[in-house]
Amino acid sequence: MKTMELHLTVNGKSLNWSISPGELLLDVLRRQGYFGVKRGCEKGECGACAILLDGKPINSCLMFAAQAEGRQILTIEGVADGGKLDPLQEAFLDHGAVQCGFCTGGMVLSAKALLDRRSDPSEEEVREALAGHLCRCTGYRKPVDAVLAAASRRKNRARRMKVAGEVAR
Amino acid sequence: MFDKVEAFYRPANVREALRLLQSGKGQARVVAGGTDVVVEGDDSVRFLIDITHAGLSYIRQRRAAWVIGATTTMAELEESELIHALAGGLLSRVARWCGSALVRNLATLGGNMANGSPAADMATPLLVLDAAVVMLDARGRRKLPLAEYLAGARTKRYSKSLLVEVVVPEPPDGKGCRWSFQKLGRTAVDISLVNVAAGLQLDFRGRVKWARIALGAVAPTPMRAAGAEQRMTGRVLDQALLAEIGAEVAREVSPISDARASAEYRREICSVLTRRALEECSAHAECSL
Ligand SMILES: Cc1cc2nc3c(=O)[nH]c(=O)nc-3n(C[C@H](O)[C@H](O)[C@H](O)COP(=O)(O)OP(=O)(O)OC[C@H]3O[C@@H](n4cnc5c(N)ncnc54)[C@H](O)[C@@H]3O)c2cc1C
Ligand code: FES
Ligand code: FES
Repeated sequence: MKTMELHLTVNGKSLNWSISPGELLLDVLRRQGYFGVKRGCEKGECGACAILLDGKPINSCLMFAAQAEGRQILTIEGVADGGKLDPLQEAFLDHGAVQCGFCTGGMVLSAKALLDRRSDPSEEEVREALAGHLCRCTGYRKPVDAVLAAASRRKNRARRMKVAGEVAR
Repeated sequence: MFDKVEAFYRPANVREALRLLQSGKGQARVVAGGTDVVVEGDDSVRFLIDITHAGLSYIRQRRAAWVIGATTTMAELEESELIHALAGGLLSRVARWCGSALVRNLATLGGNMANGSPAADMATPLLVLDAAVVMLDARGRRKLPLAEYLAGARTKRYSKSLLVEVVVPEPPDGKGCRWSFQKLGRTAVDISLVNVAAGLQLDFRGRVKWARIALGAVAPTPMRAAGAEQRMTGRVLDQALLAEIGAEVAREVSPISDARASAEYRREICSVLTRRALEECSAHAECSL
């Protein structure tokens, strides 16, 4: 089978992989050990395979791997800061928004992309951002609550840091 | 799937993309977002041509027209200030209906048209806006009405052509001109069971001066309801006329039954959504029904 080189950045690491030209991004990421990228419906319906491509959420099952040449990818493995969970991940745990966890990685990534763009989203905007993710366990109330809580936690932290900065000065 | 693919190309301009497409002997496939190509999973494809580096991602105003490059994504249409300023932001609103946020970051306008699906959501608002497409083939560039293009998009007629851009002429102006898009799907992110776009301009007495109605997923291609449009023109849009137009539209469509809905149901929904679309247009036109 024919192969080609793929250069890309995954979770901050610059990589160089050998792929077949017709392979899907989902298959390549899993082969490379990113098992947080889940294989669900494989046709764009469930969101389990979601990743951030240059900061934007997409379904990795809907893309050829070769389309990712030169791009930045963030998978759920790259969201925590070493051993320290992202506030969004904390919020999902606190709100009981995780059961089997199959949908969780994708949901956290879509939520992260939303909060990076809109620090104070409405519930409507959160629902809209999560609309591409199916969950068979918790339902949607708890993930939505978790994202809203994480947004206000992030905001409070930003405010505290600003105040602390002003005090230090 | 796609085991036979031998090469993946990323041409840097449309000429090169066209050359690759033509040398592919029918076994080359254009990839824009990939959302339709991948799901279709055509096993015979041997060459993939990613056109997203060919300089076709743009939204411009050129003279009195809006020009949208083929690889512009749905997400870009949602956000664009220029598109917000066209027909009350109709195309931005419709782009938001094209699948989930995840899909819309990949899906392109050109792919939506070129795929030739009768349910392609962007087709009906573009038909209502009298859009044209610019195609490129061995003989050069050619502009043709969107309706004509859509009629051939599912056939092999354009298999050696590239869709370069979509051109939307300045819509009729005047305060009376309003727009609506109505879609019924199983869920908020599903493809349309039926979708309807409408554009309406009323004169100062509330009579219909100009009307456009287009329907999707109810015929082999997205279609204009020309009979209904004609029937409305020059008449006051009241409840009786709305009922008449609803019935006329149901006669003009030719829906099929499939896994999503029966033909009878689709026909009924055509009437309902057309009435809703016209009601929305006229409500905004501040003309009481
Ligand atoms: C989960 C899911 C939900 C969806 N929901 C919707 C929806 O609600 N509404 C809707 O309308 N669609 C929907 N779609 C369909 C699809 O996302 C859209 O049709 C999309 O706009 C296709 O664009 P693309 O760039 O991904 O096309 P691609 O898959 O890249 O291409 C589609 C076809 O067009 C050809 N092509 C693409 N660009 C060109 C060009 N410039 N010139 C010549 N040929 C070209 C390709 O060769 C291919 O045959 C959905 C798809 C999925 C998977
Ligand atoms: S596996 Fe990609 S959306 Fe379901
Ligand atoms: S937690 Fe199990 S699918 Fe969502």
